[in-house]
Parts: sequence; C-alpha cells; structure tokens
Amino acid sequence: MQRRQFITAIGGAFVAASLAAQARAKGSTLSVVATTGMIADTARRVGGDLVTVKALMGPGVDPHGYRQTRTDIFAMARADLVLWNGLYLEAQMEDFLADLGRKTPVRPVAEGVPAKDLVSHDDYADRFDPHVWMDPALWTYAVAAVRDAMSEAAPDFADNFAANAETYIAELTKLAAYTAVSLETVPAETRVLITAHDAFNYFGRAYGFEVLGIQGISTDSEAGVNRISTLVDMIVERKIGAVFVESSVSDRSIRALIEGAAAQGHSLNIGGELFSDAMGEPGSYEGTYVGMIDHNATTIATALGGTAPARGLNGLLSAGS
Amino acid sequence: MLQIANAENVRAEAQFLRESPFAIRGLTVSYDQKPAVFSVDATFQPGKMTAIVGPNGAGKSTLIKAALGIIKPLSGQVTIMGRPVAAEMHRIAYVPQRASVDWDFPVRVIDVVLMGLFRKTGLLGRLSGADRKHAMSCLNRVGMTDFASRQIGQLSGGQQQRVFLARALAQDADLYLLDEPFAGVDAATEKAIIAVLKSLRAEGRTVVAVHHDLSTVPDYFDNVLLLNVRKIAEGPVETAFTDANLSATYGGRLATARIDPAAVAG
Amino acid sequence: MLFEALFFQLGYNATLVTFGATLLGVAAGVTGSFLFFRKRALVSDAISHATLPGVALAFIVMVALGFDGRSLPGLLIGSAISAAAGLFAVQWLASRTRLTEDAAIGAVLSVFFGFGIVLLTVIQTMSSGRQAGLESFLLGSTAGMLYADAILIAAGGALALLLVAIFRRPMMMVSFDPEFARASGINLDRTDLIMMGLVMGVTVIGLKIVGLILIVALLIIPPVAARFWSDRADRVVLIAGVLGGLAAWIGASASAVAPNLPTGPIIVLTAFALFAISMLFAPARGLLISAVNHRKFQRGVHIRQGLVSLAQGQPIYEPLTIRLLRTEGLARADGVPTENGIARASRVLRDEKRWETARADPALEMAAARYDGLMQIEDVLTSDQIAELDARIGGPKGLPA
Repeated sequence: MQRRQFITAIGGAFVAASLAAQARAKGSTLSVVATTGMIADTARRVGGDLVTVKALMGPGVDPHGYRQTRTDIFAMARADLVLWNGLYLEAQMEDFLADLGRKTPVRPVAEGVPAKDLVSHDDYADRFDPHVWMDPALWTYAVAAVRDAMSEAAPDFADNFAANAETYIAELTKLAAYTAVSLETVPAETRVLITAHDAFNYFGRAYGFEVLGIQGISTDSEAGVNRISTLVDMIVERKIGAVFVESSVSDRSIRALIEGAAAQGHSLNIGGELFSDAMGEPGSYEGTYVGMIDHNATTIATALGGTAPARGLNGLLSAGS
Repeated sequence: MLQIANAENVRAEAQFLRESPFAIRGLTVSYDQKPAVFSVDATFQPGKMTAIVGPNGAGKSTLIKAALGIIKPLSGQVTIMGRPVAAEMHRIAYVPQRASVDWDFPVRVIDVVLMGLFRKTGLLGRLSGADRKHAMSCLNRVGMTDFASRQIGQLSGGQQQRVFLARALAQDADLYLLDEPFAGVDAATEKAIIAVLKSLRAEGRTVVAVHHDLSTVPDYFDNVLLLNVRKIAEGPVETAFTDANLSATYGGRLATARIDPAAVAG
Repeated sequence: MLFEALFFQLGYNATLVTFGATLLGVAAGVTGSFLFFRKRALVSDAISHATLPGVALAFIVMVALGFDGRSLPGLLIGSAISAAAGLFAVQWLASRTRLTEDAAIGAVLSVFFGFGIVLLTVIQTMSSGRQAGLESFLLGSTAGMLYADAILIAAGGALALLLVAIFRRPMMMVSFDPEFARASGINLDRTDLIMMGLVMGVTVIGLKIVGLILIVALLIIPPVAARFWSDRADRVVLIAGVLGGLAAWIGASASAVAPNLPTGPIIVLTAFALFAISMLFAPARGLLISAVNHRKFQRGVHIRQGLVSLAQGQPIYEPLTIRLLRTEGLARADGVPTENGIARASRVLRDEKRWETARADPALEMAAARYDGLMQIEDVLTSDQIAELDARIGGPKGLPA
C-alpha cells in the first residue's frame, strides 16, 4: 500500500506540474487544433495573433476517410480547443472526438448552420450533406461558431475575436457576391457541374447549378460502372463540354468518363482542378478559404462558358489556375 | 592388394566402364553429416538382372536416387556405357517407390503411362497416334489394358505398380532402375512383374532393382549387390549371395533361417 | 439490361470492365488449378496480401521522384516486388525454421498486410494530393477502369495463359509424381518457381478488378468447381478457365447494370454460385448424381443379395427385395425364380464364390477390399488373376436343387 501511494503521489506531482505549465502557456496564445484546412484558416482569421492553429488535414487530404494518427491525438489532447466540421464529414473520427469532448472543448462548427439551410443526405434520412463551406454565405455561420467557441475558451479575448469575425464575415459577403456574379455569366444550358464526388450540393443550390458527382456525398461510397455509364450517356446527350477533377480525390473515374464519352465521339475536357474537401498549398492564396472559393468559382465560370477575371476576385489567383 | 594406377590399369578400367551399362565409382551421399551411402563402387553387367539388398536404412533407395541425380551426392562418378550419366538420362527408365505420389491427382492410367514419353516429346511436342498405341501396348504387357481409363487413385497397390512399370516400359530404355517394385503387391502382380522384367532381360536390356525379399533373390536375379552404407559384396548370386556376406550386411539382424543359395539354385 | 451488358452493348466503360474481367477470370481459373493440384492454395492468399506494402511504397517512391503517384504499371511493379518478397519469406520460414508452411503463410500474410496498412495511413497525410485510390486495391474498383488498364490486364492474362500452355506438362508431372518428374529431366525448383510466378502475375493484374483480398477466391473456386466435372487433369484446367471466365463475365456484367454493386465481390459470389451448381449437379461427381447413384446402388444390392438367396435355395424375407426382383422379371411374387432369374442367379453366385476365394487370399487383400456388394470381379482383377481363382474354385457349379 505504501508503494502504491508513493507512486500515485509522484504521478500526481507530474500531472500538477504539467497542468501548471499548460496554464502558463494558456496565458500566451490559445492553442487550437482544427480538422480541415478551411476551419483552420477561419480560426486564424478570427483569432489573429492570439491563437496558434494547427490543421490536421493538409492540402489534398480527404476528410471522409481520414483516421487520426497518434501525433494527431497527442496534439488534440494538448490543445485548448478542438474545432471540427461535424455533420459526419470526419466520419472516421466521430467516436474519438466524442470521447475527447469529455476533457477538452470540442466544437463542430458546421453545426452552427441552421437546420433549415442544410441539404439533406441522399442516402441517409436523418443526416445532412456536410460540405457547407461551398456556400460562403452559409460559411458565415461557421465563422460565428468559431468565434463563439474561441471566446468561450479564452473569454479575455472575446472582443478581439468578435471584431476579427466581423471583418472576415464582411469579406465573405464580398466573396459570395463575386461568386454569384461570375457564375451568372454561365449560359443556362451549360450549368452542369460534374465532379468526382458529391461535394458541391450547397454550391449548386446557391448558384443555380445542377450538380452531379461520380461518387456520393462521401468518398467512401463505391462508384459503380453503372454510374459511369449513366453519366456518359447524359454528358453526350446534353453536350456537356467540361468535367472537373478534385484535388483530394483520385481522378481515375473522371478519366474513365472522358474515355467513355470519347468512345461515343464526344469530346469532353477537364475544366480544371477544384478544391472540394481541402484547400491549396499552404502559404499560397489558394491555401486560404477565400482563395479556395475564389479559385473554384473562377475556374467553373471560365470552363463552362461564362466570364470571370483570370486572376479572380482579388487579382491574387496564380496564373494558369 | 594395392593396385598402383598405371597406364595399363587406367586403360583397362576405362574399357571396363565402357562395357557396363551402369557403373558407380566412389559414390558418397550424406544427410546432415551422417553418411547414407559411403564410397560405393558397383559395376552392373549388361543384359542381366541385379538385385540391391540390405537392411532398412542401408541407403539402397538413396544409392539409386543419387546415381540419377535426384539427390545431390557428396562425391562420386556414375557412368552409362562409359559416358557420364547426366548425358545419358534418356537411356534410363526409373520406377520410384509409390510413397511420394499424390493419389488424389486427377489422372487416368493411360495418362500416367503417357507421362513416360515426356523426355521424348518435351514441353510442347504433340503426342501422336503411334505414341498412344505404344502406351497401350505397354499397358498390355503388364495386363492392365482394361484399366486404361480408370482413375489411378482407384486402383489397388499391385495394379498401380503395374501401371508404373508400364510407364517405364514406354520409355523404351536400355537400363531399368526399380525401387522396391514388389513391395505391397499381391502374388499375381508379382508374377506379372517378374515376367515383364525377364522379358526385358531377354531383349538384352539391363535391370537393376532394390529388392526387399531375400527369399526370392536367387529365383529372380542373376547378380546381387549387398549394401549397408558401404558395399559389402557384389557379383553373381551363386558367389556373392552367401551366408557370410549376408551376415556382414545385416549384422545379425537376419533372424530367419539361413538361406543356402546352392540348395535354392539347385 | 443484363443481356445487353453480357454482350458488351452497355457502353464503352462497362465493356472495358467486362472484357478485362473475363480475361482475368480465365487466367485466374487456369493458374489456380495448378495451385489446387499442388495443394498450395493458401500460399496465394499470402502472396496477395503481401502486395499491399509494395503498392504503397511504389506510390511513395513515384511521388518522391516527381511522377504521377497512381500510374498503374508502376504500382503493379511495386506490388509484384513485395509479393515476390512475401513468397520468398514463406519459403524461407518453412524451410529454415521449425514453422510449418501454414504457420509461415499466416505470419507473412499478417505482417506484410499490416505493414501495408501502416503505409496507407502514412500516405493519407502526404500533401501530394490525389492519393486516394490506393485503398481501392483492397477490394478492386472498376469505376475508374481506363483503356490502358484493360490493355495491361489483357496482356498479362494472355501471357499467363501462354506460359501455362508451355509448362503444363512439367507442372502436372511434378504435382503427381515429383521423383519421376525429376528423373524425366524436369527441374523441380524451376517448375515451382514458374507456377508461383504465374500466381503472382495473375494476382497483380487482378488487383485492380477484384482487389487483393478476393483474388484468392478467383484462383481457387474455379478449379474446385471444375473438379466435379472431370477426372482428367488437363480437362480440369480447361474447365476451371471456362468457369473463371464465366464467373467474371457474368459478375462484371451484373455489377455494370445494377447501381452501387461493387464488381469484385459480385464476381466472387458468381463464382461461388457456379461452384454450388457444380457440386450439386455435375454428372458423375455431383451431390445430386451421387444421391441418385446411391439409391441405384442400394436397389442393386437388394437384387444381388436376392439373387444369391435364389441361387442357394434360400427364402427371401425382405419385401423390397421381392418387389425389386419382380420388377426386374427375375422372380415371381411368391419368390420362385424365373428363367431369367435362374441364369442371372447362377452368374451372381459364381461371382460371389470368386470373391470369397479372393478374400481368403492374403496376397489379393487390397483388391478384395474393394468389394462393395455389387462390384463384378472382372472389374477389379485382371483375367490372369481371375483364371487363377477359378482354378482354385474348380469350375462353375450349377444351382442346388
């Protein structure tokens, strides 16, 4: 018994010491871990210098199938606040995040979007499409949720967060306007967006596009040859000229579509690469949320016969985007 | 008597080898550093039937397999009519023990006999009608024509042994090496097999068989090679198959009554 | 719709998949037959699971060198290398340590596969983009089948079939009688190497369509099913190829028609259905025929025993026997034999006597053991053996009064 008490005491001392260290660290910046890059970028904009943000999923990473690694777990356990999308986007991490939520603040930011604005899931009756960031107007709710979560974790800085959030939301409103204007220039008959998976429902709904993915809402779903054949027939019949690859999903099925259309004598091009579940390279303009949406809108508009400035909303898109 | 090698001896030995359809010099085979066959010299005579006898573990099967290159010997030289065995394999027909065969393998009797023609046809050669007729005649020689379309696994031990003999006959070889051809067969099959072997001898071919039944050695064979890891004796049955040699080979393990070869041969 | 799919009318993409799958099915069925003969079916499972780390490493290497990470030939080369390593590990473990082959297979399978999964987890965090797609090698993914892939599979399948045609004789001889094969000039190790090389080749080209987890099924189920149809090894190989191709053709067509049906598992289920049909309905060896034959046999035994009783003047008590004898025209309702019956009975009695003598002879023990109550002795012993028995019995006897 003596030995056990001794060990418990030593253990307790270590925990106390590390807690104290953490408390000291808290005083400096709020450490935030976000799952997707879009959330991380938002957290940086809302938090500014007051937060250190780490994103688990970099560019090109698919959140539908992502499983947390030991390094991720370690980072999340030590963070002050964990932000994730929710709505079943990070499907493989659900259980872990529920568990973590008992010790650390864990907030699903997409669930800040009111239910009436959510698109329901094709396959599951009680679920929704999680790709809410595709509509900047809806993403403002997520920004608000981020602001609230960070204010809760660091109440001293609540005012700063509120001010930053307001600035950012204004930017997003401009972005939404730009997107709407560019996409309106696309002729009605070519307003069909075909991508590797069903990530663009919110986009389609907001801007009047018909949206078709080869795979379903989650990239875990199997795309059958039947789906490819159906899409090829539709593409040929409606004379659709361009389809789009995604940065975080394999482009094989898109290439199969192109070959299938070619076999029927129809020339189908790749209109461009879109950022669907992940952003561009960190440090580049496309590596921010604004840049990502800007890039998508500009690319889609141009490829489908509309007009948009080559360098996008802010003239910051890299050439050849 | 110590024989110093000189030109004459060497010439004589070379001539001796050239006349022998099967000669072994200094063959040694070991498993895990224990010798199974040690420095065996044996010269088999053409047109004769020779038995290889010895107790269990004496290395009789090993001798044959090593001579054919199925097992790698530690040392030794094997010649067929004076030429290295590796070049003369097409002249040898081998009937192994039945132990390693997969009886579930789906194959008919006739197909087994046709396998004997592999050396002739090679990977891709076609089997002609003449080949099939030849295979059937070999089956006929062993009395198994009625069984040509049967599954090999459905036959009795004796019938299987006959089929394997037919397979060897199909090779039309000069030298026949058989490993315990009479083990586990019925009396009628034994009679049939020995009849075939004697007919081979009558055709001038050479037959060498590992044999387990000492009582039939004088009846069936002309010559004998007594082996117990080392060669104990070799030669015609009358002179080599003696009490003394048998004791030396079996080392007192021979508990049955002594066989008087003169009495049996007479 | 299924009809159109089967005949390649359902469009370019479906046709590509069906065509590639059918070729794969034929090659897998044929190659798997030799595994089946050699009793080494599970080694193919170890090989297929061992492809995973190779695929992952090939991806990492290609990306590091600046190429497209998902180039199929590159990934397949990687898979082949690690499959070869896995095979080598199994051989080495089985021959150099005290592990038996099945333990070696289990060890290699799990270690290689686990390593592959770890590498996939590493890859998911690589920011090289577009890496999703490697997990499709687990269960196959035909939605992304391109013309280049189909060509690769066709070439691989054709090569496999060519090699089987060339080396079929040594492979079969080695399976049946390895010692005789050696003495016939066949190199055992090289033949085994060719066989396992063929298995590896088929596994690698099958990764795309059925995936590594299920390719073993496509290798093994067709020859097992084919075994019910023939007792000749060369026919079994051919039938296995046909069944494999059929399963793949039907399965791929079905998955092209129905939305959301994954191709690999459907092909395997089709193969299993063909196996079930073969097992139940194949002539001579199927269960149905066996059941029918068994009933025929039972009735035959009744008749034979009835005839023996007639021949020996004993009364028959079993009503079924009397009924059968009457139906065959061998006896009347009261048990008195007809002329036909008398003739048959005396032949049967002679046969029984011969069997009795054969059974008493220890030298004929193995042949006598085959007597099952119905077998004619002419089917078991050769004429010289029967003549010898007759000599001992002393000629045919007439019926007792």
